[in-house]
Amino acid sequence: MILPRWGEAILVWYTGFILLFFFAINSYYLILTVVGFWRTLRVFKEVRRPDQRRLLRSPLTPPVSVLAPAFNEEANVVENVRSLLMLDYPNFEVILINDGSRDRTLGRLVDAFDLRRSARCFEYTLRCKPVRGIYESPIYPNLVVVDKENGGKADALNAGLDVSFYPLFCAIDADSILEPDALLRLVRPFIDAPGVTIAAGGVVRVANGCEIHGGRVHQVRLPVRALPLIQIVEYLRAFLFGRMGWSTGNTLLVISGAFGLFEKRAAVQAGGYATDSVGEDMELVVRMHRQRREQRQPYRIGFVPDPICWTEVPVSFRVLRRQRTRWQRGLIDTLIRHRTMIGRPRYGSVGMVSLPGFVIFEMLSPLIELSGYLVLPILWVLGLLSLSGAYTFFVLAIMYMILVSALAVLLEDVAFRRYPSVRDLGRLLIGAVLENFGFRQLTVWWRVRAFWEYLRGDLSWGAMERRGVGAA
Amino acid sequence: MIPVVALEPLKNCVLALAAAVLLLALFLVVDRGMAAIVRARTRRREPLLTRLVYQAVDECCGDASEFRRLSRLDRKLVRSILLGLALDLRGDTGDAIAAMYHALGFLKADLARLRSRRATTRASAAGDLGLIRSTGAVPALLQAFSDPDVRVRQAAVWAVGQAGGPAALHALIRLLGDPSRAVANRAQEVLAERGPEVVDAILAYTEHTSSRLGRLAAIELLGLLRVATCSPLLLRFMKDLDPEVRVKSVKAAAAVGDPRFLEALHGCLEDSSWAVRCQAAKGLSLFGSPASVPRLTAALRDQHWWVRFYAATGLAETGPTGEEALSSALSDPSSSVRDMARYLLERRAKQPALALP
Repeated sequence: MILPRWGEAILVWYTGFILLFFFAINSYYLILTVVGFWRTLRVFKEVRRPDQRRLLRSPLTPPVSVLAPAFNEEANVVENVRSLLMLDYPNFEVILINDGSRDRTLGRLVDAFDLRRSARCFEYTLRCKPVRGIYESPIYPNLVVVDKENGGKADALNAGLDVSFYPLFCAIDADSILEPDALLRLVRPFIDAPGVTIAAGGVVRVANGCEIHGGRVHQVRLPVRALPLIQIVEYLRAFLFGRMGWSTGNTLLVISGAFGLFEKRAAVQAGGYATDSVGEDMELVVRMHRQRREQRQPYRIGFVPDPICWTEVPVSFRVLRRQRTRWQRGLIDTLIRHRTMIGRPRYGSVGMVSLPGFVIFEMLSPLIELSGYLVLPILWVLGLLSLSGAYTFFVLAIMYMILVSALAVLLEDVAFRRYPSVRDLGRLLIGAVLENFGFRQLTVWWRVRAFWEYLRGDLSWGAMERRGVGAA
Repeated sequence: MIPVVALEPLKNCVLALAAAVLLLALFLVVDRGMAAIVRARTRRREPLLTRLVYQAVDECCGDASEFRRLSRLDRKLVRSILLGLALDLRGDTGDAIAAMYHALGFLKADLARLRSRRATTRASAAGDLGLIRSTGAVPALLQAFSDPDVRVRQAAVWAVGQAGGPAALHALIRLLGDPSRAVANRAQEVLAERGPEVVDAILAYTEHTSSRLGRLAAIELLGLLRVATCSPLLLRFMKDLDPEVRVKSVKAAAAVGDPRFLEALHGCLEDSSWAVRCQAAKGLSLFGSPASVPRLTAALRDQHWWVRFYAATGLAETGPTGEEALSSALSDPSSSVRDMARYLLERRAKQPALALP
């Protein structure tokens, strides 16, 4: 015997805990999957109704400020702004915030849109780094470029919020491409429940491999490389099931920073974006929940599955690692900041259901999963578990994840069918399988590392290397 | 060896999951295959059926017997062709389409779907009935106004807006006070599309309704309709005790643009609610009257940024007198007023009209 009896007992108990956690997390995913599936199909049927199609151009459609923070985006910025200016929406302004770029982001914009320095006035409602200048275009009256000192994405968004004129704002990444009718679709909950809906998120999809011209996605294609392909499956699962599932009980905690629509007044009242957080998108949403619940004001934070924003995902492990550790640090930071909400009935379903769910199944799950990977071989070495037992358990976990991913692919195909060929469908299913052999374990490891980085107080974003959408 | 994990059930679970994944993959392939077959068939049959439909519509739908012999799939296709045509065609052709839809039994089927137990089916039926604009469906649609599901009520409101005659007007107006804002908004949109014919009924509703939400929606609607006959009522509501009623009234008054509102808007610049003052300044910028210059200049001292901004905008929109006042504001002690004046003068010089929020 290598271990004393009590050591063995602890190991056995821990294995039992891991098993319990395994069933709990799978039930969690199953519930989200079922709810997300049902809700997405319901919305899909609804938006196809003729009255929904025609009345999107309602006279009650509120004007929107589109805020796009940009840092060193000279490669794509002009094309992306052009794509934003071509949005199909009755009344909107595009505010691009140049967050102290060190490349020619501003220069390219000035040249392309004949920008002139403007005396546009604004109120510093939210604190942000000094604005060096505001530029407007005589050709595009709804384009505003804010040039400011570098302060990070949250700071840039706060500056954009200060400068914006309209009651709703859409926060997007400057390198993302919105589908022409994405804003019209995303604004629906705000028209249906004005004053009650304070935020809504849309779907972010992977643009790698797609054919893109003039800032529009002309043909949806899958990337050749495995890494972005696997991320497509991941995004489908996260948006169609995760976000959709959580939004059902008004418990959605994350609206992607790449594509979300907010009521300006509610965001400003909540204090705007937190500049000292790397998960500023989630943090703002949780803070809005908190404020509304504390003030006992009716509100709704929703998710709409049909407006689409295309974004480029990392194609190298190095960049992917930075992205994933940042996401995890953001999650940890937000949950720790708002820890007093957890388990408090005062915060309703957010405090009692979604926050505890996020703590257990999103924040702590990589730690438990990693320990599972370590404990199973130890049990085997100690003779406490047969090889076939360990193997069966591992295969079961993988099969379950494949099933959830396959359901996401099915939902995409039934409701949206963005990937037209059967070959694409097959490749997506292959991606769903491949994800479990290496990719998943790597992301678990990166997420565990994020705890260490968080404890060290690392607030860095890390540069996202752009190849230009459609290149990968 | 300590039996940590009972293996048999786990193995069964693995097999079950594997079977489920395979079934899903199979379903996807079969679904794709079926869709491809239907698409191919539609491509083949659609030109022929479209020609038949056009002919029948041209002949004012005298004979629908030819369509009765069609297969179920072809009938589905004919139905979708008719709905597609109904989307864009009105007048006599629209009536002919509706008559044909009725003659082929689609209307009856839609009315039956409107009584379905599933809310999505009821909503979809209401939407289709709205597309076809058949007056025969209006009583059933009016009944759907009291459906417990918001989606059905929304679709029914739209459908009645498309098909309903004067009889449905009062039912639509009553919906302005619906507890669901989605339904009330839909009623607003539908009534706004109808134009000035609905003004009298809305004025009566606004005056007598006990529903606060209904009144607010009706006032907003009056602004969308932009008819001067509502001016006396709006003038009265601009002095209402409820600040939200005042905000909506001021906004509507600015949209209507009746010169009688000018004095009242000047008065609203001193309202206790900043939102009312803001809307009043914004409204005055739409009027562009030189008579407003002294009031707007005074509003540049307002404590609220947006009121000052719209006051400055108003000055920029009131011609030389306003611009003169703005030029003087360039030496204002307040930096925010100076900034606004500079910006608006610059903007005025570059572009004649400023896109207002």
